[in-house]
Amino acid sequence: MDLPILAAAAQPHFDLDFFLKFVFQPSPALIGGLAITIYVSIIAQLTGVILGVLSALAGMARNPILRGISGIYVWFFRGTPLLVQLFLVYFGTPYLLGVDLFPRDVVLGPIDLRGAVLAGIVALSINEGAYMSEIVRAGILSVEHGQTEAAKSLGMTYRLTMSRIVLPQALRVIIPPLGNEFNNMLKTTSLLSVIAVEEIFRVADAVNSATFKAFEAYFGVALYYLGLTTIWSLIQGIIERRLRVSTARTDDRQGILARLTGMRRQAPSRPGGGMR
Amino acid sequence: MSGPNILDAIGGAPETSTDHVVVATDVQKSFGRLHVIKGVSLTVAQREVVVVIGPSGSGKTTFIRCINHLEKIQGGRILVNGHLIGYREVNGKLVEDREQNIARQRQEIGMVFQRFNLFPHMTALDNIREAPIRVRGIPEAEATKTARALLARVGLEHKADVYPGQLSGGQQQRVAIARALAMKPALMLFDEPTSALDPEMIGEVLEVMKELAREGMTMIVVSHEMGFAREVADRVVMMDDGQIIEEGIPEHFFTSPTHERTKSFLSKIL
Repeated sequence: MDLPILAAAAQPHFDLDFFLKFVFQPSPALIGGLAITIYVSIIAQLTGVILGVLSALAGMARNPILRGISGIYVWFFRGTPLLVQLFLVYFGTPYLLGVDLFPRDVVLGPIDLRGAVLAGIVALSINEGAYMSEIVRAGILSVEHGQTEAAKSLGMTYRLTMSRIVLPQALRVIIPPLGNEFNNMLKTTSLLSVIAVEEIFRVADAVNSATFKAFEAYFGVALYYLGLTTIWSLIQGIIERRLRVSTARTDDRQGILARLTGMRRQAPSRPGGGMR
Repeated sequence: MSGPNILDAIGGAPETSTDHVVVATDVQKSFGRLHVIKGVSLTVAQREVVVVIGPSGSGKTTFIRCINHLEKIQGGRILVNGHLIGYREVNGKLVEDREQNIARQRQEIGMVFQRFNLFPHMTALDNIREAPIRVRGIPEAEATKTARALLARVGLEHKADVYPGQLSGGQQQRVAIARALAMKPALMLFDEPTSALDPEMIGEVLEVMKELAREGMTMIVVSHEMGFAREVADRVVMMDDGQIIEEGIPEHFFTSPTHERTKSFLSKIL
C-alpha cells in the first residue's frame, strides 16, 4: 500500500511558503494561542509575585509556624519539577479534595478560562511564588537595617515600615531578576500543552501532527517565543531605567544587545538558576 | 544658618504632663551572654539636655536605643512621659507590649542616628512629612507646611525636592533632625549624630542641636562633642562598662573629674 504521508515525513524538505504563511499569516488558532500564552504568563507572574511577597514575609517572621509554612512551600515547589506540579494540580487535586477544582469554563469578557487553563495558571503561580519568595527575600535583606529602625523610631508599624520603606527600596534588587522570571514564564507556559491548553506551542504541535511539517511549525513557534521575549526585554529595559532614575543611581547601564544575549557585566542574580 | 526658633515650626517646645520626661530605673540589657547594660538609672527632667559620654563599648548607644525600645531590656524599667516603654506589667512581671502600642509610644520619642538613615527613595520633603501623614494622620497640606517650615529652620528650604543621595552628610543629618521633629516628640534622642560627619560639617549639625536645646527641647545626646556639652548640656553622664560611673554639670568634667576612668577618657578626647 502506498503511504505518501510517511514518504513525505521520511524525506522532509523545508517548505518556505508554508513556513512564511504559518508565521506571517497566523491562523485564528495561533492568534488564540498567543493570547493564552500572554495572559496566562501575566496572570501567573502577578499571582506569583503576590505569593512570593507573602511567602518572603512569612519566612522572615518571628512566628516559627509562619516560617515553617514558608520554608516547606519553597522547599517543595522549588524541589519538584513544574511538570509534576502541573499534573498534581490538574489531575491530583480532585482525588485529594474529592471535588474537581477545575471542571468547567470561566468566561470573563475576552478571557476564556477553560478548566485546564485555570489549573495551568494555578500551578504556574504556585511554582513561581516559590522562586519569587527567594527573590523578594534577597531584596528585603538588601535594605539596610537602619531603614527599618528609622521607620520604627518614627512610630511606624510593621505594615507601614514594609509597605512604605522597605519594599519600595527592595524593588531595586527585585526588579532585574523579576524580569528574568517573566522571560522564563513566557516560555514555560509551553508546558501547559501537556494538559491540552491551547497555547502557541500546542497549536504548533497540532500543525505538525496534521501536516508533518515539523521544522516549519516548531521553528515558527520558536520565532513567536523569541518575539515575545524580545518585546519583554525592551519593556524590562525601560522599567529598569526608570527605576534607576528614581533611585538616583546612574551606574551599570546596559544595552539592549547585552540584555538579549546575556552578556551582562554583573552576574544575573537569580537564586533558582537554570531550566526547570 | 538656622533661623531662630526651630520649634516654632511645630508649635513650640513640647509640654509634657510629667516633670520627668524620662525615668529609667536599674535597666539591664544583655546580648546573649554579653551583659552590656548593668543597672543604669537615669532621670531626665523636662527641657533638660543630658549628654552621655563614654568609651566605645560602654553601652551608651545601647542604653539610648532601649529608651525607644529599639533594644529589648532584660530588667528594670523605662518610663517616658510616665508610660512604661515597650512592656506591660502583668502580675508584677514585664511582658513585651503589642506592636501597635510600642509604635504609638515611639511617636513621642524622636531619634537621630549616627548614619542619618534617611529614606533614600524619598525627597527631603517626603522624608519629613511621611510619618506625620501616615502615622499621625495629619492632612497632607498641613504636614507639608510643617515640613517646609522645618526645612527652612534647619537652613535647607531650597533642598525640599532633593533626594538624600544628593545631599552632603551635614545636610542629611539636618533633614533627619527635621524628620524626627515633625512628629512633635516630647523627647529627642541623638545617637552620636556627628561622628559619621566630615569635620567641616559637624558645626552645622551642632548649631541646629544647640538651637533646639536653647528652645527647650528635652534631649539625650550620645556624643563626644565636649564643646557642645559645655555650651548647652545641663548634665553630662559618663558611662563605662555598662554603668554610669560619674555625672555632673559639664564644668565638673572639665575641672574636677573624680573617677580614674573618666580622667583617662577625657584626656583622650579633650
